[in-house]
Amino acid sequence: MAFKQASVLPGFNLSFGYTIFYMSLIVLLPLTALVVKTSSLEWGQFWAIVSEERVVATYKVTFGASLLAAIINLFTGLLVAWVLVRYSFPGKRLIDALVDLPFALPTAVAGIALATIYAPNGWIGQWFAPGSVLGGLFGSEGLSLAFNPTGIVIALTFVTLPFVVRTVQPVLADIEQELEEAASSLGANRWQIFRLVILPILWPALLTGFSLAFARAIGEYGSVIFIAGNMPFKSEITPLMIISKLEQYDYVGATAIAVVMLGVSFLLLLAINGLQWWSARRLGRRN
Amino acid sequence: MSIDIRNISKRFGNFVALDNINLDIASGELLALLGPSGCGKTTLLRIIAGLETADAGQILFHGEDTTDKHVSERQVGFVFQHYALFRHMTVFENVAFGLRVRPKETRPSETEIKRKVHELLELVQLDWLADRHPAQLSGGQRQRIALARALAVEPKVLLLDEPFGALDTKVRKELRRWLRRLHDEVHLTSIFVTHDQEEALEVADRVVVLNKGHIEQVGTPEEVYDTPASPFVYQFLGDVNLFHSRVHAGWAEVGKGRIAAPEAPDAPAVIYVRPHEIDLSRVASGDALHGEISHIRILGATIRLEVDVEGHDGVEVELSRERYQDGGWQVGETVFLTPRTVQVYSNPQ
Repeated sequence: MAFKQASVLPGFNLSFGYTIFYMSLIVLLPLTALVVKTSSLEWGQFWAIVSEERVVATYKVTFGASLLAAIINLFTGLLVAWVLVRYSFPGKRLIDALVDLPFALPTAVAGIALATIYAPNGWIGQWFAPGSVLGGLFGSEGLSLAFNPTGIVIALTFVTLPFVVRTVQPVLADIEQELEEAASSLGANRWQIFRLVILPILWPALLTGFSLAFARAIGEYGSVIFIAGNMPFKSEITPLMIISKLEQYDYVGATAIAVVMLGVSFLLLLAINGLQWWSARRLGRRN
Repeated sequence: MSIDIRNISKRFGNFVALDNINLDIASGELLALLGPSGCGKTTLLRIIAGLETADAGQILFHGEDTTDKHVSERQVGFVFQHYALFRHMTVFENVAFGLRVRPKETRPSETEIKRKVHELLELVQLDWLADRHPAQLSGGQRQRIALARALAVEPKVLLLDEPFGALDTKVRKELRRWLRRLHDEVHLTSIFVTHDQEEALEVADRVVVLNKGHIEQVGTPEEVYDTPASPFVYQFLGDVNLFHSRVHAGWAEVGKGRIAAPEAPDAPAVIYVRPHEIDLSRVASGDALHGEISHIRILGATIRLEVDVEGHDGVEVELSRERYQDGGWQVGETVFLTPRTVQVYSNPQ
């Protein structure tokens, strides 16, 4: 086979074949079915469904909130990873274990919990409600944290927290102390060391975490619908559109929207992967 | 710049890494800190650099107390055993790093940086690698780049932590000669840490032998090799044979022979003899030790014979190839050993 490189490890044909088979069965086949189902539509019908005003509004909410949540996690995730790697304090292991909790929790449970806490009469929400202490800072209306796009971002941030933390943590732990000492002996201050020495090394891992968080957020449903309020044109997410079409037995309409989501997600992830490849090259790993 | 080390002590938990170290380093000197692993040599170097803080004591640079100064203010160049190059930067950017991080007022212009970096890369003879990444260089090249990077900030002191430790023997030898030449050119006060006595003796102006947090001896390579101040120094600076005996009226008996120890008091003693300072003969002389050759090992230019002496099996004797061939020595032969130089240490613990 032309792709095969000389290697001491046997079994290229078998493992390559298995990989292709497995990926086809688990990933490609369902996605193909999706596209096939959609193709029963005329082009005009398809376009009418996916470009309906209310649906277009959900694309904006979904991709916008997902992007925002991923960006927030880029910073907070780095911070959490930093604290967990660099400092030792009582309860460190406990906090380390807590990071994974958003994964383990059923998303609907997370959604209900978040909605309860952030609602205007909830533990946190009440502090931002109209006329409250912190809410006053945001004008007479206060700051509403639930039942609007802000709530969606909160839910998505919660659900995707582990991605950046878990991708950055091992890379950060692997950075030799000597690199920082070398930079310090050359006269660099702490901020310069972070910006010029540590961040470039973390960058590929940060991007990976970012793209995983982003991808997960786009498809998130359970935790969002309870806190989103689901107001048409305002706080409806695309997965909700798909569900509501399914509930009306409009299978073809649901798959049409799903195909659009799939296409956009694929393009975005491809772009992030490209960025990652480029930054890894810059790191001198591949040449 | 001269460095004074005064009463430096450092503990790690219960482990005493350095115990009241005092040392004066002259300006422009190339000093080796020599000792086995765990003797505190790297800790001392890191304290001088400011990468570690001492529990007690002072470090003076040119008479000025720098004990509380941060590493970034001490103007030291530090070279690490594993290079610590920034792998996401090219060789050029690595060397330029120290200049680029300076505050705006003192930062040189871009053309000045370029000139300076190329000058340094020429000094380490690697100007042609400026655009490569560290991953594309060999170990020896990386260490030379690390040195150029350390020199770029015009340090007042150059500190090297086992600089050749990660390199293979041949590159090591080349690089240490090169370091010696470089030091003769730039005359920067330099301290390097090593566990390799050959390296220390070859490169340094003065050698400091450390053991278990203490200084055992300070001196020129000749001084420490020829007149070791303690059994430890003697043993550490090369192979040695030990004879356990008792001195009586200026003689120590070993088997059927005896070794002269004219100045030693009458007491138990350990006698140190280097393998290449023993004469071999087939003819018995009055005092020579009796023995039988048990092994012959050919180590290139030198030949090492192991001789079983009564009470001391496996005494090592080193001969040059010519002397070995002239003698025609065979395994199993009875031989007589006469040490040319000995060191007697009385009352060993």
